[in-house]
Amino acid sequence: MMKFLFMLIFMIPMCFMKNMFWMVQMMLFLLMFLFMNLGMSLNLFCNFSYMLSCDIMSYGLIMLSIWISVLMIMASENLYKMNFFLNFFLFNIIFLLIMLYLTFSTMNMFLFYLFFEGSLIPTLMLIIGWGYQPERIQAGMYLLFYTLFVSLPLLMGIFYLYNEMQSMMIYFLKFMNLNIYMLYFSMIMAFLVKMPMYFVHLWLPKAHVEAPVSGSMILAGIMLKLGGYGLLRLMIFLQEINLKLNYIWIVISLIGGFYISLKCFSQIDIKSLIAYSSVAHMSIVISGIMVMNYWGFIGSYILMIGHGLCSSGMFCLANISYERLHSRSLYINKGMMNFMPSMSLWWFLLMSSNMAAPPSLNLMGEISLINSLMSWSWVSMFMLMMISFFSAGYSLYLYSFVQHGKYYSGVYSYYTGVSREYLMLILHWLPLNILIMKIDYSMIWF
Amino acid sequence: MNNMKYSICFISFIFLFMMSMLNFIFMIYFIMNKLVILLEWEIISFNSISIVMSILLDWMSLLFMMFVFLISSVVIYYSKSYMSSELNLMRFIILVLLFVFSMMLLIISPNIISILLGWDGLGLVSYCLVIYYQNLKSYNAGMLTALSNRIGDVLILMVISWMLNYGSWNYIFYLEFMNNDWQMKFVSSMIIMAAMTKSAQIPFSSWLPAAMAAPTPVSALVHSSTLVTAGVYLLIRFNMLLLDTFFLKMLLLLSGLTMFMAGISANYEFDLKKIIALSTLSQLGLMMSILSMGMPDLAFFHLLTHAMFKALLFMCAGVIIHLMNDMQDIRFMGGISMYIPLTTLCMNISNMALCGIPFLAGFYSKDLVLEMVNFSTFNLSIFFLFYLSTGLTMFYSFRLVMYLMINDYNLMSIYNLYDEDYVMLKSMFILLFMSVISGSFLNWMIFPYPYMIYLPFNMKMMVIYVSLIGGMFGYLVSNMNIYSVNKFIMTYNLSNFLGMMWFMPNLSTYGLNYYFLKFSQNLVKNIDLGWSEIYSGFGMMSIMKKNSVLYNIYQMNNFKIYLFSFVIWMVIILFMMLFNI
Repeated sequence: MMKFLFMLIFMIPMCFMKNMFWMVQMMLFLLMFLFMNLGMSLNLFCNFSYMLSCDIMSYGLIMLSIWISVLMIMASENLYKMNFFLNFFLFNIIFLLIMLYLTFSTMNMFLFYLFFEGSLIPTLMLIIGWGYQPERIQAGMYLLFYTLFVSLPLLMGIFYLYNEMQSMMIYFLKFMNLNIYMLYFSMIMAFLVKMPMYFVHLWLPKAHVEAPVSGSMILAGIMLKLGGYGLLRLMIFLQEINLKLNYIWIVISLIGGFYISLKCFSQIDIKSLIAYSSVAHMSIVISGIMVMNYWGFIGSYILMIGHGLCSSGMFCLANISYERLHSRSLYINKGMMNFMPSMSLWWFLLMSSNMAAPPSLNLMGEISLINSLMSWSWVSMFMLMMISFFSAGYSLYLYSFVQHGKYYSGVYSYYTGVSREYLMLILHWLPLNILIMKIDYSMIWF
Repeated sequence: MNNMKYSICFISFIFLFMMSMLNFIFMIYFIMNKLVILLEWEIISFNSISIVMSILLDWMSLLFMMFVFLISSVVIYYSKSYMSSELNLMRFIILVLLFVFSMMLLIISPNIISILLGWDGLGLVSYCLVIYYQNLKSYNAGMLTALSNRIGDVLILMVISWMLNYGSWNYIFYLEFMNNDWQMKFVSSMIIMAAMTKSAQIPFSSWLPAAMAAPTPVSALVHSSTLVTAGVYLLIRFNMLLLDTFFLKMLLLLSGLTMFMAGISANYEFDLKKIIALSTLSQLGLMMSILSMGMPDLAFFHLLTHAMFKALLFMCAGVIIHLMNDMQDIRFMGGISMYIPLTTLCMNISNMALCGIPFLAGFYSKDLVLEMVNFSTFNLSIFFLFYLSTGLTMFYSFRLVMYLMINDYNLMSIYNLYDEDYVMLKSMFILLFMSVISGSFLNWMIFPYPYMIYLPFNMKMMVIYVSLIGGMFGYLVSNMNIYSVNKFIMTYNLSNFLGMMWFMPNLSTYGLNYYFLKFSQNLVKNIDLGWSEIYSGFGMMSIMKKNSVLYNIYQMNNFKIYLFSFVIWMVIILFMMLFNI
């Protein structure tokens, strides 16, 4: 595990050399390839070096974060063309990736907390540094303070845990069972805000709308999954109390998911629509984790990975339109099929993956989550049906509004998709739909 | 693209036609040797549950595949001419091929998870095909189609979760075993609902006429013979589970009403394609209702024969629409039998097959269905629904024939109709041949022993009676003059109700949209921009602001006040220490 960390650290000087934009990307591809070949024969923690190790759960998420980072570089070619603080941008991405890598692979609770919060800084830099409107300052504040407000209790909780356990090893958490209300709330609220749960989701659409494409991709792709990862890890010593209190989160998430799906119909900003749709998906993930059965855990894990790829791809698509029309409004992004018929295919494929069409990972995850929630209580069926139905509704709404019909008559010049963009979308879509062939890597992990 | 000799249309036609013949041969082999092949590919197995991708090949799936391949091959060949001025012909053909592919996946999978691949695929691809033309009407129709079908998808997802306890999702193994399990009640009700969305039965039937916004070859393939029959096919597979349940009786009532409703609405309609769509809906009701009486083989039989002549009917309609400068209103047509005799021939034969004129395709299936209805012990309302709908079939068919072929040509005074589009005609002749012979050939092939029907003379002749009466009405209605049209005003409300499919399109679009969208606006206004903001970001900011102003005021005061407050604080602490509070 250490070797990958060192590879990343020694890539930092490379970011500051001249003309290293694509080289960094290639090196990250190489890293991805090397990491993919990591022997993951066990379902337990393996590949220990110092305090780093990974099991299947962190393996998949690390892979996702490397993959999304690669595609982030690929998506931000505009910065390369304009030479817009390129070196610092690359450094930012590498720094973010290091943070994410350490968050997922560290074995120490405190270090997990440290890197969990540390990944916020580069994200904030991305939004404030490379965002578009002046409102990005406010969006950055929302992002920062929403998450910080609940993460300090988490720090306290971790200290309490250290006092109880006399160790910070994540692996040892499974020998603990703490039934303390305050501890429970302080432990999970940080992750619920990060996910984000309904009611505390306001930072997400704001951040997405103001973020550059790379920021949106990493936010939707990985940052939301940090919350899910934290819940999956910590749930093990909160089992008993969670079974008492889980109905709160499940009810909020299910009804909230339904409401959020409805809210998607009122959005006129493409990015904010996609952001709201991620909240709707994450709400099922939260409820799946909170149910605490096997199906729920694997389902939330699979849906997290699927959604990471899918929503990141959708943000790429939104950016592709944005780069050409300089607007994210649904009233201006219209009739794109007349300009970019081939891109329309990718819009459709990613939209259909977003609404959990087969054979995407999203479908597998949704099936597992529905199974788990139905075994918890069959009344949740109705809300699940609503969420699932309206997810198709807003996906198709977005697709057809952007692609179908007449184009905006104020468009004077336009250019079709370039191969870089198609490659980027293929690299999003292919793992999303191919990984289901080897789904046991996501399904059997403890 | 399509000027080349080996265009994509021609290649796809050859491929699909070969596949159809191959399936035909396999079907004969399977039916003779009573073979069933079940292939399973295990994707994952854990917690004693296995998720598999299964493929079931028996005579039924092979026969259905043969028909679908045949129809799609001729439809693709036909669209070489029909879509010849289309810029993106390649996209169109690929979409149709994708549609056929997902239909195949639906037909061969007896597993409720792997059926999703076909089921969702059908919904998505048909959405793309409905919104193929870039206008608002097709946009709305596509959304209605896709979302109605999505209800079915969601119900299938729920079925998956209800079947979790059985350890596998190969439903064919559980149909008889788990018949009395209480969870199977949920499964069967949801399967019926899902099938009703795909087959456009009554609460969901508004999408089928709306989907006529698609290009005509798509209507011929998708919305007449394949996609809409997917629901019937699913119920045929699930039949063992559903026998003698309450849900099946509900289905019988709803599908009977669908049949009746569509038959009446077709008589009020003036759009050529919509008339045929409503007639499809009526026939789907017939299939569903005979299925819910417990005769799935008859439903399957009618499904196949209907697929043939309905695809043919749509293709004829396509030719006519082409010649009429894309005009679909039947009031502008008339007398076309003088100019395009070959197309008229096809149209009349398919219409007659639809009405069940003896020894054409429809006769064998429809007559058998109706006699089995007569033979069974259902009450009078079901009986009337069946027979009135049969009469109505004749009614609208005759009306259509009268409007199209008998009167004068009404569109323009200068016109040029031609019947020499051999690409279209050739493809139509294949189906013409099939819609003549497929009834008898299937009748001999798929029923190992004949149905025994024993009826009194008048009951036996009942079909002919209602058909004759219906035909007469159709003739009279199409010859009505201006005074009799005025009389419709007397029954204005009733005509409105019957002509607008019992207000179903309105109910399922405006009736639902408005409330959900209003609710969504309210949610955004009250929660996202309202309470949530006040109690988190914005509220916290305003509190901080207020307090910092307060501290500012405090700090702007005299130094004396600090000292004074320090003294007071000390006094308080002293008192507390004194009294041991």
